[in-house]
Amino acid sequence: MGLTVLLIAQIVLTITLAVVFFVRPSITAGASGKFLAFIALCILPALCIAGGMSTHMDRSERTRFCTSCHAMANYGKSLYIDDPNYIPAQHFQNHRVPADMACYSCHADYTIYGPLRDKLRGVTRIYAQYLGTPSQTIQIPGGYKNRQCLRCHAGARSFDANPIHVAIMDSLASNEMSCISSGCHDMVHNPAEVDHLKMWSPGQ
Amino acid sequence: MKIGMLGMGRVLRIASALIVLGLVVEIISLAWLHPLAFALFMFVGVSLMGLGILIYLASLVLVVSPPGENRGG
Repeated sequence: MGLTVLLIAQIVLTITLAVVFFVRPSITAGASGKFLAFIALCILPALCIAGGMSTHMDRSERTRFCTSCHAMANYGKSLYIDDPNYIPAQHFQNHRVPADMACYSCHADYTIYGPLRDKLRGVTRIYAQYLGTPSQTIQIPGGYKNRQCLRCHAGARSFDANPIHVAIMDSLASNEMSCISSGCHDMVHNPAEVDHLKMWSPGQ
Repeated sequence: MKIGMLGMGRVLRIASALIVLGLVVEIISLAWLHPLAFALFMFVGVSLMGLGILIYLASLVLVVSPPGENRGG
């Protein structure tokens, strides 16, 4: 929040200086005016772009950001299903992932360009939603990657103590077998049924 | 019309206007937590500001002001 306030202050300062150069471009006649113009019309706007990108990237990791899209509403609701067998709900309600970054915690590709690539992929969804034809069912390209689960669970005591995990670890690591495959942790969002399921209210 | 044919004052005005517009778009996008705000900033705001910066930088190289041309404002 503090950084956003600083960014807005920087934007207001840049707007003020840019307006000055719009109204009185003759200021650049002198050397100090030229220097000020370079700061106002090059350095400060470039910093505003960098600050804006950083702020937007941070904000887009929030749960509220993801669930603000109509198509995501039922996925957001599914985090409140009152049944510990539902994996996303269990993680969200028990703070196994940060509650305000619940979607991002399990749906970001944790590679070097992961977050940026996820955002760009998100932009294609925005295009489909507003300018194209949105698909009826939302599917993750290439399927859900076990890496998202193993990032936290691999090496954890309770995970390693489970003999099934140990026996199939190679298949999990290579994504040959999915963690959310049938018979394992297969109860995920279930958006089609979410309105008929019992819900948990925080503070209950 | 080539950028070098415009006066320095006019080029500065165009660059300033684009930057101000881009910054206004950025403020609007920051006030709105929605994927469209992200797209608005990335595609509209950054493009306007980037173009403004480029025009300003190009003016430093390409625009040759006659003596006293931009003293009148």
